[in-house]
Amino acid sequence: MTALPPPALRLTVTHGAHELTVDVAGDLDLDTGDHLVETVTEHLARRPEVRGVRLDFAELAWIDSAGLSALLMVHRRACAAGRALHLDRRPDLLERLLRQTGTLDHLTARPGQDEDATGTNTT
Amino acid sequence: MGRVRGASPCVFGSSGSPVDPRSAAVSIGAAWAHAPYPVIVADRDGALVELNDAAQLLWSDAVRGDQLLDTVPSWLAEAHGRFADGAPEGSGQAAGTVYDRFFEAHPTPADDGDVVWWLVDDTDRRLAEAALAGARQRSALLADVSSQLLSTLNVTRCMEATARMATDHLAEAALLVAPPQGRRHQLTYAYRGGPVTRATAPVDVHAVPGLAEALQGFPPVPARWINPADLPGWVQPAGFAGPVGSVIVAPLPGHGVPAGALILLRSSGEQAFSGDEELFARLFAARAGAALSAARLYTEQASITATLMRELLPPRLESVHGVEYAGAYRPARDNERIGGDFYDVHPGTGPAEETLVVLGDVAGKGLDAAVLTGKIRNTLHALLPLATDHERTLTLLNSALLSSHHTRFATLVLASVRRRGSKVELRLTSAGHLAPLIVRGDGTVEETATRGSLIGALPKVTSATAHVTLRPGETCLLYTDGVTEARGGPLGDELFGDHRLKRVLAECAGMPAEAIVERIQMLAAQWVGPGSHDDVATVAISAPRAADLTVVGGQRSAGGTTYRRNG
Repeated sequence: MTALPPPALRLTVTHGAHELTVDVAGDLDLDTGDHLVETVTEHLARRPEVRGVRLDFAELAWIDSAGLSALLMVHRRACAAGRALHLDRRPDLLERLLRQTGTLDHLTARPGQDEDATGTNTT
Repeated sequence: MGRVRGASPCVFGSSGSPVDPRSAAVSIGAAWAHAPYPVIVADRDGALVELNDAAQLLWSDAVRGDQLLDTVPSWLAEAHGRFADGAPEGSGQAAGTVYDRFFEAHPTPADDGDVVWWLVDDTDRRLAEAALAGARQRSALLADVSSQLLSTLNVTRCMEATARMATDHLAEAALLVAPPQGRRHQLTYAYRGGPVTRATAPVDVHAVPGLAEALQGFPPVPARWINPADLPGWVQPAGFAGPVGSVIVAPLPGHGVPAGALILLRSSGEQAFSGDEELFARLFAARAGAALSAARLYTEQASITATLMRELLPPRLESVHGVEYAGAYRPARDNERIGGDFYDVHPGTGPAEETLVVLGDVAGKGLDAAVLTGKIRNTLHALLPLATDHERTLTLLNSALLSSHHTRFATLVLASVRRRGSKVELRLTSAGHLAPLIVRGDGTVEETATRGSLIGALPKVTSATAHVTLRPGETCLLYTDGVTEARGGPLGDELFGDHRLKRVLAECAGMPAEAIVERIQMLAAQWVGPGSHDDVATVAISAPRAADLTVVGGQRSAGGTTYRRNG
């Protein structure tokens, strides 16, 4: 029998009445970042009635700068679709990275509060 | 040919004659006369006694009583002579050609010293054997061609090996024409027994029938359509003793794009290329083309990487305006993926002006990261006149980097450095980067109180600048997370971490900048061991100790040009 090692990033998506919850477990990095962005984008496109996206990081093992880049992209996509992004149960690791890079406020701001760079202020 | 072969009993038996040879010589039955194999009977003096229908077809003029020597080929007549003289039973077989067929001849003794020669036509088996041997040789050769050519990724060597092998196995002379570079083609000449030579010339490829098409990857023109007399002079290698008798022009198919064309030449003294040889030449060209285009792709890739790496190499740092700088950069081991760490030092125009130090880290790896790194370094260089205001510099840089296509960002630290008396004043601003660490004279390690948002992904950036003064012997360290996130240690999966870094730095109190960056790089490398690591960049800014001042004074007189780039 082939026993493949578990994937580095495991995403579990649950649909609530108005919210989409994604459990992000494992490593969020250069290799796995795109997977998170694609998963969230896909589910948002399929469920137009959803008003917010919750990312649950309780089981996040590792995040690097490329992983943060993926979070910024998820935020950009969610805002563009008028949905709020919530980052729940952040481990120290993530909290420190968000504070060091000054992205915590930006990522958790409600849509409209923060004029996001969704195409208006671009190169 | 004509070598005596050991006849296998099976072949002998398969001659199918049911006739006892002893009685055959006496009375020749109808079965014998109509046997499908030629049989001749000769007496001990070499005169023809009898021959059956099949033998009569071979030697239509032969009649009984003729001398064998005048009738049959000499190899058979001589074998008869030897056998009639009393060769032992069971030996005496001979083989040779009769007109265009090949026969094995088996003798059996008959009455009165006559000898019956049973001839077995072996032509088809010989042809099949020759074809099989040829096919084996060709496939061995093709395997050899591939292994020789694929062992090098050097395009020139690959072209030389192709031309050389073509002359060893296919033709007397070969010319490999590479795809044009501008108007010029690289030409690789080889001829049997001579050296391989190269030339680059603006040759007219339309002068050789089929060459222009072959260079575009179209199928080859059949060899018989090419008149050797039409070939221009540049096709022949200098030492080739022409005139050319036959020509093959074969395309070298690459991966999607043609890798060139191969011209094979034979002089008029040699046999012209056969259809089989032409087909084989195409197979050879296909292998060579695949190897050549692999080499070409690799070379292009390598030169792109080398060009980028050269641009991205950090500068070598020295003393500038009485402040000591040292930097070290250790790229990730994965050296095809250019990393995203960088640093630069822009010396102030004079000792009273601030020197700007930048150290940063771009998210991700590879070409995308390299391009962003290049953009940041260039933009910051252009923004130097505004660098007195860190926040404004970062805002301008951020708006220059924002893109709607991606959220690739950079974190960096700006340090404006100026010497005042024996002390060094620093203004430090972190844009989402790890805060610089200060190593005091007593071994205390302080984290600077600067904090700001990353660059290139957020619509607005915020930052807070810290002001720090270094006394002689004290150092400020800028570093990337390659240091603290180095995975390794005794258990193999532990992070080096900022606590360990601070402890190491405490032991470095009073050391010169150069020694501090060396030590940190070394410890981080040891920590990782044989495991893979990310880029590691460190820059130390130190206030020289009083004893170093004379040296510093000497450096200062050299003006603002005391730092230079590597390579």
